[in-house]
Amino acid sequence: MTKTVLILSMLLTSLGTAAANLPDGDEIARRINARDEGLSVARDLTMRMTDRRGKSRTRETRGFRKYYGEDKRTVIFYLSPKNVKDTAFLTWDYADPERDDDQWLYLPAMRKVRRISASDRGDYFLGTDLTYEDIKLETRVSIRDYHRKTKGEDEVDGHPCYLLESTPVDAKTARELGYGKVEQCVDKEIWMTRRARFWDTKGKPLKTAYFRDIRKVQGIWTQHRIEVENHKTGHKTLFLFSHVDYQTLVSDKWFTRDALRRGL
Amino acid sequence: MTQEALKSTRAWRSFWFITAYPKTVITLGLALIIACASFIPTLIKDTRSDAFLPEDEPALLYRDKVKETFGLTDPMVVAVVNEGSRGVFTPHTLNLVDWLTKEIAKLDDIDPDRITSLATENNISGYDQGMRVAPFWEDAPATREEADKVRQAVMDFPLYVGSLVAPSGKGTLIVVEVPDQEQAQSLYQQLLALAERAPRVGEEEIHVAGEGAVSGYLGSYIDADAQRLNPLAALIISTVLFIAFRTLRGVMLPNFVVAATVAASIGLMAAFGVRFYVITNGLLPVLIGIAVADSFHIFSQYYEELARHPDNSPREIVVRTMVHMWRPITMTTLTTIAGFLGLYLASVMPPMKYFGLFAMIGVATAWLYSVTVLPAWLTLLHLRPSPAYRPATGGAYRTDAFGRMMTAFGRMVVRRAGWVLGMATLIGIAGIYGTLHLELNESRIRTFQKDEPIVRADSIINRLFDGVQYLDIFIETSQPEDLFDPANLKRIEALQAYVETLPHVGGSTSVVDYLKQMNRSLNEGRPEAYALPQDKDLVAQYFLLYSASGDPEDFQKEVDYDYRLANVRVSLDSGKYSDEKAVVEAAQQYIDQSFNGPGIHATLSGRVDVDYHWIKRLGETNWGSVGIALLMVWLMATLAFRSLVGGLITVVPVILTVLLVYAVMAFSGIWLSISTSMFAAIAIGLGVDFAVHTIERLEILLRDEQRSLDESIVALFPTTGRALLFNFLALALGFGVLATSKVVVLQEFGRIVALAVSVSFFASLTLLPAIAKVFRPGFLGFRNNEQPLALGTELQD
Repeated sequence: MTKTVLILSMLLTSLGTAAANLPDGDEIARRINARDEGLSVARDLTMRMTDRRGKSRTRETRGFRKYYGEDKRTVIFYLSPKNVKDTAFLTWDYADPERDDDQWLYLPAMRKVRRISASDRGDYFLGTDLTYEDIKLETRVSIRDYHRKTKGEDEVDGHPCYLLESTPVDAKTARELGYGKVEQCVDKEIWMTRRARFWDTKGKPLKTAYFRDIRKVQGIWTQHRIEVENHKTGHKTLFLFSHVDYQTLVSDKWFTRDALRRGL
Repeated sequence: MTQEALKSTRAWRSFWFITAYPKTVITLGLALIIACASFIPTLIKDTRSDAFLPEDEPALLYRDKVKETFGLTDPMVVAVVNEGSRGVFTPHTLNLVDWLTKEIAKLDDIDPDRITSLATENNISGYDQGMRVAPFWEDAPATREEADKVRQAVMDFPLYVGSLVAPSGKGTLIVVEVPDQEQAQSLYQQLLALAERAPRVGEEEIHVAGEGAVSGYLGSYIDADAQRLNPLAALIISTVLFIAFRTLRGVMLPNFVVAATVAASIGLMAAFGVRFYVITNGLLPVLIGIAVADSFHIFSQYYEELARHPDNSPREIVVRTMVHMWRPITMTTLTTIAGFLGLYLASVMPPMKYFGLFAMIGVATAWLYSVTVLPAWLTLLHLRPSPAYRPATGGAYRTDAFGRMMTAFGRMVVRRAGWVLGMATLIGIAGIYGTLHLELNESRIRTFQKDEPIVRADSIINRLFDGVQYLDIFIETSQPEDLFDPANLKRIEALQAYVETLPHVGGSTSVVDYLKQMNRSLNEGRPEAYALPQDKDLVAQYFLLYSASGDPEDFQKEVDYDYRLANVRVSLDSGKYSDEKAVVEAAQQYIDQSFNGPGIHATLSGRVDVDYHWIKRLGETNWGSVGIALLMVWLMATLAFRSLVGGLITVVPVILTVLLVYAVMAFSGIWLSISTSMFAAIAIGLGVDFAVHTIERLEILLRDEQRSLDESIVALFPTTGRALLFNFLALALGFGVLATSKVVVLQEFGRIVALAVSVSFFASLTLLPAIAKVFRPGFLGFRNNEQPLALGTELQD
């Protein structure tokens, strides 16, 4: 009996010590956000969305992204399928939370650029399982929206990582984001998220995302594959990045309505 | 028959054997009841109207396909109504909608993404530079200006006017898809509780309706009903038993048979996983009635024997009774089984098929207990004569006032035999006329009394909105993305335009309506741009554009993921079969002639289509089941009496019964519906007993050469006639109890079966003696060379 108690207390002590040795949540977040993402990037992106019956839609795009200080501009040109070829989507994201992002879509069949209403942060991005907020953050995390704590350690695809649990600061933020809790598995060495689990505002499992095929491109750790599964709808999204280029400077001209109309 | 001869019969020896081990027989009987009853707690209730269709019914398969592909179910519909001058577009009412939507999303049995209300839906609107897809509000309107803006936006979105908001603005709906109809009852209760505690002011009202709610309501309704009705039926039947025999055993032992019958029938139902359907409620009084019927005859004979042979031992009296009664009660058991076999064979709908099957099991159990446990128990009891049967001199007995009343009735029948036959002919003719004018119809909401909240909710919603009875049109094209083709979209648009011209159709929605709204929004919101885009690529691009703001699942109620399948949901404001029939048949004709073509195909589906098919089925199979039940009963009676004519005469009273009841229904405007369609088979099964008992006794009485024909016939009345009277009273009152049910269809069922039983009783006791007297059929022992007797001349008072 005494022995058992002794062993148990030793175990507990060692666990406590282990947890105490882990970096705290804010530290992990700071490390994540300190990563180099490149000032601008050009890349191909294939999006494959599959519904719960296994029917899928595949869209191939070429896109550019560039930081303007804390603000960011993104443009995506659709290459296929044929019926949406040359459709183009432009976003100007503003760091100021009070300012609505600007979005435009070019519809080649109408030959018109149309402004579309600012999306909510929790809205789904172009029919995928990622929200506008997920897309906007890319590999970063939002400091403002969450309280964070380190839950322990885990491993994804053989890479040891820290378990970072983030909970929205208040109910309103949770509603906006569409998440009640997020748990990320953050690679200990390169400070990139390898897996993220999301819960909805009712506390039910919402979706799980895996970030894979992470390798260095021009000195920058880059994810090439994102797999997301929505547990409520059974809907899945696969993002495949290729031809990633951080070095060729992306011209400002790509991020204009004229560029949308002109196409690639 | 001498005492010795009687004791050497096989019947005597059999019953002598059964009564040798009374305690064993009773113990076995009890054990069987307990074994069967132990399954009853596992019984599953099934109030879905889908339960009426066989699982392989094409209409159901398509309905399930629509459910699987588009997630559309029979929803619960919560209506928020404000009859004030601004309608629902006041800050408070819109906040109420917002509150309700959020609270409903918290409930367990629903998918929060499958709630449709002003608080969940996106508005698609246009402005000079583009299209805006956004919820009608982020935070529910706080000021009158904001509420007015919502009104403007909603009223400018044709798709939602009528379906989501009342064109008058007086109401708006929250449509809640029910993922599992089994949860309907609890979900409905939860919604009512929510409506109850919702913060309402002024003229705000909240109503809950829809097919999902009807199922849910019916479940709790039936529970409450059964708990009240079944004890009442047992009490009434016990009272009739007491009046008939005025002894404790005359009340308790038949109730023991009732317990066995109900336990066997319902217990086996549970054991085999058969569900308890809405109409299974009607089975309980049938079982109770069947179970006591044999007892009436056995006890009548028992007390008769006791009055005649007061010096016999209990065992001798019991065996004497059984020797006389086993034959008629076995015959009635077989004919009743034949009637329910007819129902079983002819029905395609599972609830009715099982009704027939478990009624047969009940009848057989009642017979088994009546010829084993009942005599065993009576053997154990001390002899105690009934006050209704007093011994008289010379081995005879004096009957009570009921017996004397029946004798008087018998004399009248014998005197007026010709008149009886004439009346029967007239009733038969009226019955045929009525039968030809029966109206096949049904309406689920009619199940409930008019003052029930669900009926009010239904009528208010159907008045304010397009309607909540849904017909789905499932559209299939051959290749993915074929629905981008403007030619296909135009076809769907034309189909919708046609269907909307049909009576009781309030409106329809499909992806076409969304595309038109998008087209208009992208053309600066100009009203004339509310039209389909002309270019296949543009359609594809509209969907992509929409996905920039909407959810990936937003159009899943309208199109499948690869744009090959689409659904058109048509709203009807009536759930009445005759109205649904007109719409379904017209829509089908249009689809066949104008819609279907190479590469595109439409199939009707949804609640309205399913209802149409099964009620139609009901009409088609009804006559078959009546015919087969009659045929089976005739066959069985023919075998029992070993005479074709005998079999024919046996079914005459039940045919007359069925015709008369149909006539009453036709003349009083009662529909041939779920509840009333089964009465015929039940009436045949139950009613034929009166005829079998009458003929069996007549056969015996007429063999007595010492009495005149009329005296023999009159002798039927104080004995068998008296037993039948109580049998009839127990049945009629037992079914009469159903007439006090809160479920309108059960009321109808109860009244009609009570009427049918009454008609069978009177027809058997008047028509059969009259036929015997006038036509002197050979199977009753008449010799053919005898001169027919002049009507009414032989009787001496």
